[in-house]
Amino acid sequence: MKEPKEGHQTDRRKFLAGMGVAGAAIGLAAPSIALGAVKCDTQWDQEHEIVIIGSGFAGLAAAIQAKRLGAKDVVIFEKMPVFGGNSAFNGGLFAAPNSPLQKKEGVKDSPEQMVADQLKSGRGIAYQELLLHVAKNASKALQMTLDAGAEYFPYLQQLGGHSVPRTYQTVQAVGAGITQPLLNECKKLGVRLVNRAKFDSFIFDDKGKVVGARINQGYYFGRGKKGNPINVRSARGLLIATGGFARNVGLRSAQDPTLTAEVPSTNPPNATGEALLEMFRVGAVPVHMSYIQTGPWASPDEDGFGYVSNYSIYNFAHSISVYPKTGRRFMNEIADRKTRSDAELQCRDDNGKPLPPITITSYEHAKEHPTMKKVLKYGVGWKFDTLEELAKHFNIPLEPLKKQIDEYNGYVKSGVDKQFGKPMEKAKGKYLKAPFVTVRNWPKVHYCQGGAQIDVHARVIDSTSWKPIPGLYAAGEVTGGMHGVSRLGSCSIPDCMVMGMTAAESMMKS
Amino acid sequence: MKTLSKGILLAIVMMFVASSGFATETLKQFDGIKGRTFHADFYNEKACDTCHSSKTPLSLPADDACLSCHDQDDLIAATSRPDDEKWQNPHNNMHYGKDVPCMECHGEHESRKPMCQGCHSFKYTKFNQ
Repeated sequence: MKEPKEGHQTDRRKFLAGMGVAGAAIGLAAPSIALGAVKCDTQWDQEHEIVIIGSGFAGLAAAIQAKRLGAKDVVIFEKMPVFGGNSAFNGGLFAAPNSPLQKKEGVKDSPEQMVADQLKSGRGIAYQELLLHVAKNASKALQMTLDAGAEYFPYLQQLGGHSVPRTYQTVQAVGAGITQPLLNECKKLGVRLVNRAKFDSFIFDDKGKVVGARINQGYYFGRGKKGNPINVRSARGLLIATGGFARNVGLRSAQDPTLTAEVPSTNPPNATGEALLEMFRVGAVPVHMSYIQTGPWASPDEDGFGYVSNYSIYNFAHSISVYPKTGRRFMNEIADRKTRSDAELQCRDDNGKPLPPITITSYEHAKEHPTMKKVLKYGVGWKFDTLEELAKHFNIPLEPLKKQIDEYNGYVKSGVDKQFGKPMEKAKGKYLKAPFVTVRNWPKVHYCQGGAQIDVHARVIDSTSWKPIPGLYAAGEVTGGMHGVSRLGSCSIPDCMVMGMTAAESMMKS
Repeated sequence: MKTLSKGILLAIVMMFVASSGFATETLKQFDGIKGRTFHADFYNEKACDTCHSSKTPLSLPADDACLSCHDQDDLIAATSRPDDEKWQNPHNNMHYGKDVPCMECHGEHESRKPMCQGCHSFKYTKFNQ
């Protein structure tokens, strides 16, 4: 490996920064000349106090918070025809320590305890400072959604890797149960919402500060219409809240060669990460790019996030997953996502082909969550009156399966899972008995832990100076570091919302 | 009364939709371009600016162009679903409410698929491509 030359990246960054300025006569050939001498003569088409790229949780929360802090002119640019991004597809699960529901249910919790769970799942490389900042402010973000009219089930769930029940879920069991109220709130507050407007590149001033962005207006996703470039000035700051890159097969398989085009994803097709790459081009620090999470609760029997994901997330706590070949459990059904995905991927037939595990739930417990009806209605889940029928349908050996269920029911009674150490708190009294509801599970690419490095003020860090790039902020899945190797379920919404709010606070102070 | 006339109009539209069978049948070749039979007047009068911003269109119509004639509430009523599928109404759906631009699912000059079919298998028997 060649030693990187000192100053190499500075030069490159400034070179590219110059390229970002429309028609500006910048001294490209002489990057060593003091930048103060370079004149920024960008022709501005629009000027706004705060410019936000992306309309998911992070962008919407930032816009609302900025308005509440007195911003007069906030604009959100969204590349798609519709607002909400991947957040509108998300499962609507929101973890918050010390929440009103925890008080009601008598659950003892703290931001520190939530962070401890996350650090464990992050396998030693998650950014503790960011996690603690989010955990401490999660209730504030939850309140913002409630104020905007979001509605949640009146009970908490205990998701994989969480030591206590701390997860809210929208009554629609989808993130749109939050993005829609937040969008309405934005409209009420006078936030300008512009669709079909794709971020292209950053515009810097002569001191290296991000002062705006080039946006392609009239961009039609999937129709080959790139739109017309406009230069948009951001007086207080520019926030990149563009989400992950789960649907950019080239980028994701460059990080993790196992994530080829054959691996499906829960994300919409627009989760492609161009703005993230643009941040790297101007010097942002890439963090944890190869940690790309697959969701162990997804189903091979439907596209996208589908219905089975939320069904399984809710039911795993009081269900068993079995390997069809043996009829035996093969994992702690509420371990963290990576542990479970890795275990599921081991379930194969004699030829090495995927043999998706079967998740078995008592009908009387499955019916408590509205997704069960959908799962059965759309043919991605099956109900059986007897264990014999179930075993026959999936070609599972009956006797070992019977024995497995008896063993498991023993763990329900004793509260101790001797097989895989699953926390049995949420399974208390929930014995497995007929009739049963079953689904098949197989992982799908769900979330990119990696992204651009930020600090607790949502400022994007520069890889040369290791200081924030002035004027540039990022929040949500586009950032990296917070979750480490594996993000715990229901921790993305608090991350996105809190960091979006934080970015707004930072910009309003600037 | 406005509501009454809207109701009659809606009934006529519904009859038309029901009688048209497969939606592709409404796509017909006019002079130089395909278009919908129910918009035949536009083509006969070469009135591209009914939807586009000029008589000689260079760009796609505005996202709300259709709504200058079609009433959003009528459309929502026409595609309402039973209670347990309430939010599968394409004109007022769970993910995006009433905000999906018409042309994401409907094509005036070409056939399109409903946007939700990227993930879902909902059946829209009355769908007008």
